[in-house]
Amino acid sequence: MPKLQRRDYYDTARDMNWAFSYVNEDEVFPEELSKSFGIKGDEWWGWDEPYKLTYREYVHNQAGKDDGIYSIRSTIARSNLYDNLDVGWKSAIKAHYGAIPVPEYFASIGEARMARFGRAAAWRNMATFGTLDECRHGQAQIYFPYCLLGKDPQFDWAHKAMHTNEWGVIAARSLFDDMFTANDAVSTAIQLTFTFETGFTNLQFLGMASDALHVGDIEFGALISSIQTDEARHSQQGEPTLRIMIQNGKKAEAQKLVDQMFWRSWKLFALLTGISMDYYTPLESRTMSFKEFMQDWICRQFMDQFKDLGMDLPWYWEKHFLPELDWVHHAYHLGVWFWRPTVWWNPDAGVSAAERDWLEQKYPGWNARFGKLWDVIADNVRAGRIGKTYPATLPIVCNCCHIPICSPSVGQAPRITSHNGRKLSFCCEVCEWVWKSQPERYDTHLSVVDRFLAGQIQPPNLEGALQYMGITPEVAGNDAEGYAWNRMASLAAE
Amino acid sequence: MTAMTAKATARKQKKTWSLWTERRLPSEYEAVTYKFHSHFRRAPAPFELSEGWSINQFYLKNREGSKFALDDWEGYRDPRAYTYRRYVEDQRDREVYCDNLIDEFERLDSYRKLSRPWLDFLGRHYLPVRFPGHAMQMSAAYVAQMAPAAFVTNTFYFQMGNEMRRVQRQAYLAKALALDNGRAELADSDAARGLWTQAPQWQGLRELIEKQLIAFDWGEAFVSRNLVVRPIFDHVFNAEIAGLAKANGDDLLSLLHDDFRNYDEAYAVENTKALVSYATGKVASHAGLLRDWIGKWAPLGERAARGLSEALATAPGADSAEALFQRTMAAQAKLVADCGL
Repeated sequence: MPKLQRRDYYDTARDMNWAFSYVNEDEVFPEELSKSFGIKGDEWWGWDEPYKLTYREYVHNQAGKDDGIYSIRSTIARSNLYDNLDVGWKSAIKAHYGAIPVPEYFASIGEARMARFGRAAAWRNMATFGTLDECRHGQAQIYFPYCLLGKDPQFDWAHKAMHTNEWGVIAARSLFDDMFTANDAVSTAIQLTFTFETGFTNLQFLGMASDALHVGDIEFGALISSIQTDEARHSQQGEPTLRIMIQNGKKAEAQKLVDQMFWRSWKLFALLTGISMDYYTPLESRTMSFKEFMQDWICRQFMDQFKDLGMDLPWYWEKHFLPELDWVHHAYHLGVWFWRPTVWWNPDAGVSAAERDWLEQKYPGWNARFGKLWDVIADNVRAGRIGKTYPATLPIVCNCCHIPICSPSVGQAPRITSHNGRKLSFCCEVCEWVWKSQPERYDTHLSVVDRFLAGQIQPPNLEGALQYMGITPEVAGNDAEGYAWNRMASLAAE
Repeated sequence: MTAMTAKATARKQKKTWSLWTERRLPSEYEAVTYKFHSHFRRAPAPFELSEGWSINQFYLKNREGSKFALDDWEGYRDPRAYTYRRYVEDQRDREVYCDNLIDEFERLDSYRKLSRPWLDFLGRHYLPVRFPGHAMQMSAAYVAQMAPAAFVTNTFYFQMGNEMRRVQRQAYLAKALALDNGRAELADSDAARGLWTQAPQWQGLRELIEKQLIAFDWGEAFVSRNLVVRPIFDHVFNAEIAGLAKANGDDLLSLLHDDFRNYDEAYAVENTKALVSYATGKVASHAGLLRDWIGKWAPLGERAARGLSEALATAPGADSAEALFQRTMAAQAKLVADCGL
């Protein structure tokens, strides 16, 4: 082994900052790609990453990790593991593969933006590893569903989804482009690495990995827990960036970045992870409810770290965020199941008698609020009125989160408002605030319903909408269990 | 029975992505790289935000709007067909080799055996190279994020990693030389920064590097980086420095740069040639566009090469600055010629 340890030469390998003189600093770091927040040149040079790593260590560690996950993949490929998985769980991983692998690759572009436009060499080095990491996550996570294509055509959406205008894809792309693919380097460090990767990815990558192991999906569990080890490292670009902003009197600006992106991430992950954990994961394999994961990993662990850095809770915490933990993903689930032909997986109703008991126990009041709606659906299914369990129209979609507006299900009216003469719909006060706090990002962007009303979707009916969304018959979602949950529910009732 | 099973397997047609259009099945490399840039030429704007949003406008101008355009970038292939997995596997082996090399020389106490004039030379004319080396890493990150297909982007991700690899070994050597020879200034970042920003021999390169960083059109960024800056920089700091090191008894430095040249520089060169060949094969007039860009950057490239050649000529046993300069420019011209330009 070379005699010098990493710590002996690390500083020499990361202090490559200098003041430009043949070009201006603001040409090298244009505001649109690297928002300075008024903090000048060498103020950034003291950027100090908590997790230190060299290239030689990186390739050594990463090659080892890849040896691990790909050998699990090839072992499992020879087994019938996938065939024996629960149908609801299969839906959870299909939803994941459509929403996550290609956006993770998009995150490599966000990381490369920091690797070029980050304002300190040490930061750019960390972002270089981050870029390579996200390339790994895109490739590994798409290779696994690629190998499952022979089992089920819905896995094609791991690759196809981001090329479509499916409504959930628009919601995901809107979030991810805002957060990293089309964000400046400094905001990306706060919004992607600090807000998102130290908080929400834990839910999807550790929470779901833990459920995966209970379900027996060793392949998915090994894949995403391996990915999380990279996230845990490169997410640490956020903290030093935040420290520099706070030291330079820009706490309010940093707080706003966090508040905007925490909310946007919450909405999408309530949709993706919330439904997967509380409805698609088989009952006997659920380690915790989605709300418990949120309370433990977001409300407690992440927010403790957040407050340690001198930041405040987002302004909407008590009034909007905590109450939504009780209802928003249940409403989303109902909507996704109802509009099931518009998604690329088979929604699992997840409301057998035993599951309803669990939901009522984890979310007291669930039966009164949502159970009664499922009763109507169940009655229709039992009476053979399947047509009544399908939608005839499109929902109203929020112009910020791009998720159908569900707030009326808890007695909250949608917020219909306008901006420069354009009519806008928001699901809640916070989405309206996020949008109006930075209209330059959103003001001409059309939601899928805006496009429908503008005549971009033809013919203007559900069939035209499915075609616009790229949904083909072999992929269109249907009830995961062929309504078996309902037979069980009725047996239990008798 | 065995034959029947084999037959049944053969009959079962393998599935691939619905977006894949060729008759043959894609390789694993293709399956995990094809059509990942769904935002390229997406209407009405690349990203799911307002068309007027500054980064949408930046991409529309510098990527979709670049003259270096053609119909199907998804047909480009990295000659090494690198996936992330294969890249880190190969580089793990390279880094083990470098570790073993350093270990071997350290056992022989090699740093202390170097001459004082050679150490003086390294301090002034070589060790500050980590500053422009880091800028090369930045410029690879730029081309990568702007390229129109993941098949192109990923090759620049890997070039970016390789630049970092070289810089970190240089930083290691700076520190080891400083410690073993009691010459702290060799690893002093402020001293190196001062030389990089003030010493005359570095200024041509610094001007080239700083200006290259603001070449935002993706095609021009690729050309200025891979056909002007890189061949000059790599010739001086891989080939010439390795030769001088060997002549001055610094076999470790020489062998390390041989490794960077034989693997990382070769990777960049292979992809430069392949990308130029792909683009000119699709649109013959791109040859003229690329030549124009090379011509535009050539004067800055020559000034950089001149300064570096004068610096290298001060090394014990070095050739004349003119000879070094001619070889450097010939190396750059050869790459351009090998690209058919």
